[in-house]
Amino acid sequence: MAGLVPPGTTAIPAEASKTAHTKAEEKTDYMNLPCPIPFEELQREALMSLKPETFEGLRFDFTKGLNQKFSLSHSVFMGPTEIPSQSAETIKIPTAHYEFGANFIDPNLMLIGRVLTDGRVNARVKWDLTDNLSVKANAQLTNEPHMSHGMVNFDYKGKDYRSQFQMGNGALFGASYIQSVTPHLSLAGEVFWAGQHRKSGLGYAARYETDKMVAAGQVASTGMVALSYVQKVSEKVSLASDFMYNYMTKDVTASVGYDYILRQCRLRGKIDSNGCTTAYLEERLNMGLNFILSAEIDHSKKDYKFGFGLTVG
Amino acid sequence: MAAQPKRGGVHLPARRSASNSDPSILTKITSSAIVSRGKQAACDAAFVSKKLLRSTGKAAWIAGTTFLILFVPLIIEMDREQQFNELEIQQASLLGAPPTGPPHK
Repeated sequence: MAGLVPPGTTAIPAEASKTAHTKAEEKTDYMNLPCPIPFEELQREALMSLKPETFEGLRFDFTKGLNQKFSLSHSVFMGPTEIPSQSAETIKIPTAHYEFGANFIDPNLMLIGRVLTDGRVNARVKWDLTDNLSVKANAQLTNEPHMSHGMVNFDYKGKDYRSQFQMGNGALFGASYIQSVTPHLSLAGEVFWAGQHRKSGLGYAARYETDKMVAAGQVASTGMVALSYVQKVSEKVSLASDFMYNYMTKDVTASVGYDYILRQCRLRGKIDSNGCTTAYLEERLNMGLNFILSAEIDHSKKDYKFGFGLTVG
Repeated sequence: MAAQPKRGGVHLPARRSASNSDPSILTKITSSAIVSRGKQAACDAAFVSKKLLRSTGKAAWIAGTTFLILFVPLIIEMDREQQFNELEIQQASLLGAPPTGPPHK
């Protein structure tokens, strides 16, 4: 008994100190919450897993870096593009275009410009004025009248909050604010006003994230309710599910998908409640050479889209 | 009416000429209630089984193409990853082991 007591007394203080340490971790420091992610990236994990950029036809992208900061890109696309039509039939018209682009990427300044052979010009600017304030702008000019648009965003990053103000052409104004409430939970709100359509709206969002999962929900007065959940099953695999409901038009969509990030490839697959399944594979053939396969099958509309492409650089 | 060769199963109803005032035993059988109900049941069974076959075919097609798009690339990629891992282990054992061998001895 006497022999048993000393190991007991030495064991107990070690355990007590361990529990005291975990208790200190558990007791959150509400003054030192992490900075939340930007409002537009609230459902980023779900979007990345469930909505890959599927395409139909051939896609070839070549990026050549001339400098550490400056690079040029050439891109060719050939394939049918859908035209929105009133009838239930989807109308596809074969198109082909070449896109030339220039990128300048600096830690504080990012400039991206693209010119397409069908007459469109895109520009994106991201400028970090100070550590906390950054300005983003993007613009698209087209040949068709009244289809060009531009938008400017001013972002301010605080200690545990972010706020954003945006102005677009057509008298579009928006503001959003996201705040970290606990180390895992952040809440956000947004307000927008579209002058051209005389519409205004209000929205709320919440995001709960841990190491293994991210759950996000968003409600807007335009009638959109979007919930998403992403679970990181292992470091290579994550599963995602998404639910979107529009209470004005009574439109419901639910989707479930997986995202496998292996060493040589990244494979994303998804199935929808609209009877649509998509798969997107990016395979690394060589250093800097990626082979892309995209498939989208819509059983209800009998619309099948398959694409392949190559990305160099 | 000539004696019709008896054929098993469903057959087209015999064309009836002017109503026979003197029905033979065969016409009595073929126009009885049981036989007509049996014919109706057989028609229904054929209709239902055709519908079932068509919907099973449709379901099989949808399931097959969905499996092909969603899971076949996954299986292929996982297999390649496993092969790559095995190759790496083999390489590691070929190149990694020898330097540590002699010191132990």
